[in-house]
Amino acid sequence: MKRISKILQLIGKILLPIGLIAFLIFSIRVTQPDLGKLISSAPKAGDILSQLLNPQLTTRKAEKTSLSLTIPVPCGSVPNPEPATSGPRLSVDPVCGNPGDTLTLYGYDLPKNANVSLRWILPTGGLLSIRNAKTDANGGLNEKIEIRPITAAADGKAAQISIEISLPSGKLVASQTLKDVVDTMFVTIFMALIATTLGTIIAIPLSFMAASNLMRKGKVGTIVYYIVRSLLSLIRSYEALVLATIFAMIVGFGSPFAGVIALTITTAASLGKMFSESVESIDEGPIEAVTATGANRLQVIMYAVVPQITPDFLSFTIYHWDINVRISTVIGFVGGGGIGYFLSLRINTLQYNAAGTALLAIILVVWALDFLSSEVRKQMI
Amino acid sequence: MLKVEHLTKVYPGGTVALKDLSFEVEDGEFLVVIGLSGSGKSTLLRCINRLIDPTEGKITMDGADITAAKGAELRHIRRQIGMIFQHFNLVKRSSVMTNVLNGRLGYLNPWLSTMGIFPAEEKKRAQQALARLGIEDKVHSRADELSGGQQQRVGIARTLMQEPKLILADEPVASLDPVLAHSILQYLEQLNKDDKVTVICSLHYLDLIQRYATRVIGLKDGVKVFEGLPSEINRVKFKEIYGEEAQDIRATALE
Repeated sequence: MKRISKILQLIGKILLPIGLIAFLIFSIRVTQPDLGKLISSAPKAGDILSQLLNPQLTTRKAEKTSLSLTIPVPCGSVPNPEPATSGPRLSVDPVCGNPGDTLTLYGYDLPKNANVSLRWILPTGGLLSIRNAKTDANGGLNEKIEIRPITAAADGKAAQISIEISLPSGKLVASQTLKDVVDTMFVTIFMALIATTLGTIIAIPLSFMAASNLMRKGKVGTIVYYIVRSLLSLIRSYEALVLATIFAMIVGFGSPFAGVIALTITTAASLGKMFSESVESIDEGPIEAVTATGANRLQVIMYAVVPQITPDFLSFTIYHWDINVRISTVIGFVGGGGIGYFLSLRINTLQYNAAGTALLAIILVVWALDFLSSEVRKQMI
Repeated sequence: MLKVEHLTKVYPGGTVALKDLSFEVEDGEFLVVIGLSGSGKSTLLRCINRLIDPTEGKITMDGADITAAKGAELRHIRRQIGMIFQHFNLVKRSSVMTNVLNGRLGYLNPWLSTMGIFPAEEKKRAQQALARLGIEDKVHSRADELSGGQQQRVGIARTLMQEPKLILADEPVASLDPVLAHSILQYLEQLNKDDKVTVICSLHYLDLIQRYATRVIGLKDGVKVFEGLPSEINRVKFKEIYGEEAQDIRATALE
């Protein structure tokens, strides 16, 4: 018998690493990591990152002029445009192309050293931003542009390359994007605040009902205890994101209210659980002593339980507000409103500068609240 | 005053803490309960004010049936019975004043007191109770800032607020040094002699028993093995109650 069990142990020792390796190989196949792609996409990544890292914070009141040039894609789909010969003008070489080709865009007699934003005006009328560039000291422009399939002419209408030249004139002011970001950030912070407040108000009575030391003294108490406890763990198995998705469908996509409902529910459930553990860990002695004076149940809770749990409750609540701000920045992606919704809209419409502004705001606010909440909690304990 | 008849307590786990225990306490007695840890002393004291519900038997105080009392009636009985604990059982984060006022909760309007509103005369009463125990200067301290002896005095002040007919003291000096032990027991003795409060107290030290008790009950495994005067406890009796290995434990520091 001993020998058999030893052999089994040995087999186990050999099989376990093999099993683990097989498991890893399987996971790699399933998740399809492609390092080559990561490297080959470096230029694209650089483009996106440079825009993200260049948030729109301020604008000068600028005079904007734009120029555009029709690009037949593919060649011959519409007549080639007549080239202009004087004044600020664009030309392109070759004059037409197929999706995948690269064109060179030249500009002449443009304002010197001016910021220009390059973009496609699609046949449908939509805008597709390409990148930002700068004119040289002579007012010239030289940019390579790749033709995307989406720019193909349709219904006799061709796509145009358009440049928007902005010449600074006047004072530096907060950009519209920054104003929008601040607005939605406030929505997000208040969304977290109201959800934390409501969640806490719901969590307090639930936590008492889910605390074994208070409830499991009679039959009714024990039944309530088990019901509330299972309810709390059931709710906690749903992420705030999942709930927000559901409520966004009910109360409207992009509405902060959806986020508030989702966060309130998850906050109530998780604080309910944390509070109940805090209630369970209190010293029974004072409860005994106050009960022995002839106090009723409510008085016992008020004078023997509440003073013991207050620091924990406050600390957990502030901590949860911090968590809620962080979650609510993401909750917008599934339609919960606030800064996340703003961010997801900007990313989906390729406005990476605006997205960068939102990201900057999120980082600042989360960092500030993290710092604030840990300081406040330190003060309290 | 207090009559305990055929008291039995079996815990849910099956442990028999008290077995068919009967005794009576007269007005003004200082009854000391002795016995090893786990012999049922704490259970007995807690059955008297119903912090623990007895399994069988009957306890009456001045004719009122404690074991059958419920709700408001039980709270009414409890407020006449003060209790002092080995670990003081103060609410540590609350002030001394609040802790003492807690002793009055059974008399006060439940709604006002739950909101933290106490009448001025009750605060004055609390001040007086603290003055009587010599710690009126600690009124605004937090309970956990006090030393053990001071905390136990707050515990007694809390009990004084109940204007009790009976005080249950569960090893009140077991966490204190011998000097403090005497000082605390002297306060209890004072209440017993001057205020005519009956005291039931569990103690371990033979010299303390002989100094303070008017009568002694010995428990062993939940059964009463001794009942008599403190002078009747000699080494033989002591060993019977505490087992053969027991040394004559004393608070020798005071001899």
